[in-house]
Amino acid sequence: MASNSAQDWMNQWQALAQRYWDGWKSHGVTPPGGFGKSDASAPWQAALDQWTQLFGQSAQQSDLVDRVSANAKSYVGLMQSLLNTAMGQDGGSSAAAWTEALRGGFNVPGMDPSLWNNPLGAGFRDLAGQGAKGFEQLMAEFGRGAAGPMRQELLANLGMPTFGLAREHQERWQQLGAALVEYQEQTNRYNTLILKASQQGFDRFQSKLAEREEPGRQLDSVRAVYDLWIDAAEEAYAEIALSDEFRKAYGAMVNAQMRVRSLVQGEVEQQTRQLGMPTRSELKGVEKSLQELRRHLKAEQESASADLSGEIAALRAEVAALKRELAGAKPAAAAKSAEPAAKPAATSKKTKR
Amino acid sequence: MGPIRIEPQKALDEALKLQQKLSAGAQTLRALDPVTFGVTPKEAVYRDDKVTLYRFKGDRAPTAKTPLLICYALVNTPYMVDLQDDRSMVKNLLALGQDVYLIDWGYPDGSDKYLTLDDYINGYLRRSVDFLRKSLGVDAINLLGICQGGAFSLCFSAIYPEKVRNLITMVTPVDFHTPDNMLSHWVRDLDVDLFVDTLGNVPADLMNYCYLTLKPLRLNQQKYVGLVDILDNKTELENFLRMEKWIFDSPDQAGEAFRQFIKDFYQGNKLLKGGLRIGDKAVDLKNVTAPVLNIFAEQDHLVPPAASRALKDVVGSGDYSQIAFKGGHIGIYVSSRAQREVPPAIHDWLAKRS
Repeated sequence: MASNSAQDWMNQWQALAQRYWDGWKSHGVTPPGGFGKSDASAPWQAALDQWTQLFGQSAQQSDLVDRVSANAKSYVGLMQSLLNTAMGQDGGSSAAAWTEALRGGFNVPGMDPSLWNNPLGAGFRDLAGQGAKGFEQLMAEFGRGAAGPMRQELLANLGMPTFGLAREHQERWQQLGAALVEYQEQTNRYNTLILKASQQGFDRFQSKLAEREEPGRQLDSVRAVYDLWIDAAEEAYAEIALSDEFRKAYGAMVNAQMRVRSLVQGEVEQQTRQLGMPTRSELKGVEKSLQELRRHLKAEQESASADLSGEIAALRAEVAALKRELAGAKPAAAAKSAEPAAKPAATSKKTKR
Repeated sequence: MGPIRIEPQKALDEALKLQQKLSAGAQTLRALDPVTFGVTPKEAVYRDDKVTLYRFKGDRAPTAKTPLLICYALVNTPYMVDLQDDRSMVKNLLALGQDVYLIDWGYPDGSDKYLTLDDYINGYLRRSVDFLRKSLGVDAINLLGICQGGAFSLCFSAIYPEKVRNLITMVTPVDFHTPDNMLSHWVRDLDVDLFVDTLGNVPADLMNYCYLTLKPLRLNQQKYVGLVDILDNKTELENFLRMEKWIFDSPDQAGEAFRQFIKDFYQGNKLLKGGLRIGDKAVDLKNVTAPVLNIFAEQDHLVPPAASRALKDVVGSGDYSQIAFKGGHIGIYVSSRAQREVPPAIHDWLAKRS
């Protein structure tokens, strides 16, 4: 960039945007508002939305398209941020300035502000497919409901004694409430570490960039910058993820989530039992019995098979012995028949056997 | 001098290339054929509940006299070893003359949640081995265990040494407590009783989520940014999707077997330290007396090399060899290097011990 003024950059950027958009128009896509102007907030991301729409709702590879689009958006966000930074620079920006540009690239319009500067957190949110989001959505609903004054009220009520006909139910609900609060706290603890990993990723990226300042080691493409960022972020994450603190937080979060699930299952079971419907516990009992029966049946079959094999082996041995005996008897019988009938009694005895 | 020097023309080219790839992808993604895996012809020779024992059929009759049984992990399906025509360890082993069998554990459902490691190792695996011994008239077989299936194969070989002629372990964890084992680190404080009692079978999606979070940005973001590079290449795109299908088309884990595997292997490290029991049978790796070939991957993020290397010091066999493969946990089966190096190494090692 050293040899180009900001105005040159601006001109080329406009030309690029125009060429970029010409390509999309050939597919019949309508330009998003502001596209091609250097002050457009996120034209590349908008174009990717349009690209996704090319496939419609029923595309066979829709999930793949979504994933390509989501991750390409992150990538072009980085691209745009770096190019915007480069426009006003002479190539001498420090590692810190480029790191700031990278941060900016991840904070795209429309993104949940709580995930700004936290690309790992955003990555985790994107990671789960729709099928795995049910519990998270449930917890998000609870989180909204249990935030602020209601959370205080919940906490105040969780330790209250219970009375009367519904006391057992009330006690279970209190346990569920306490479990939900605990889960939220453990999730926050875990998310704090993920945020820390993101921040350390930026720090590490800056260090890696600093190593590239010496001549001959500069990064010369957006992809190279992106790959270096991924290396830095993964290294920072791995360091945190292998720490004792993370291990404890991870275990506590999973255990807390399982307690919530278990108590919710218990409540569902209470309701279904009262409606006279089969419950999970009943089914588990049947499944356990089924497995025990399977084991028993296989053991019996193997035992019977072993008995049968033993019997067959014994019979075979007996037949073999008889054959040997018979084979030995034949020459003797032949020899005797060649002799004059001197010892008929002996021949008769052999035959009897 | 700054660390980034992106020439304007190069930046423009990079952006245009991205556009071109996405544009081409709009066409290519619509024209893809459905992807499948498991390409080599095979015949089911034995069934036991949801478990199927297959015999692979090569272009020529096997020359090896001892069958080679592949025992895969319970996680994912075993067809990583036969992913596609030009990435198939099975096909290459058949071409070298091996008589290759494979246990497909099937997809456990709710009725299987009480399957234990005893059921898997002393039950399904033993009966499969006995079927082969009896039907082929051999006293012992060659056993090739992969990943968790390698741990199973070690247990089996320790319990039934007379039934294993040669043992090959691939990317098999033995020491579950090496400091770089992230999976093990994470489950150390897990209340696995609560976990299994709550979930029953462990859903495949949950397992896959956990694996993806080992390298969240590389596996969930960088991979798909890289995918843009091949959006204009139908063949490469189908290869990519085939791998995607294999990764995510995975079985749930039978709850009880999962419980014991986490407790005894990941948390207790009993395979290495001792005290492991499968059903009523004790497992002592000193009882593994068959020749052992231990193959591990140097860049394995799921089973660190040190976790596999530990076998050398604890196995009873006097004939131990190991191979460090330059690649990762999956690359050891599907990379070009793997096709060239791994099957011949296995075949040659077996040939010297046949």
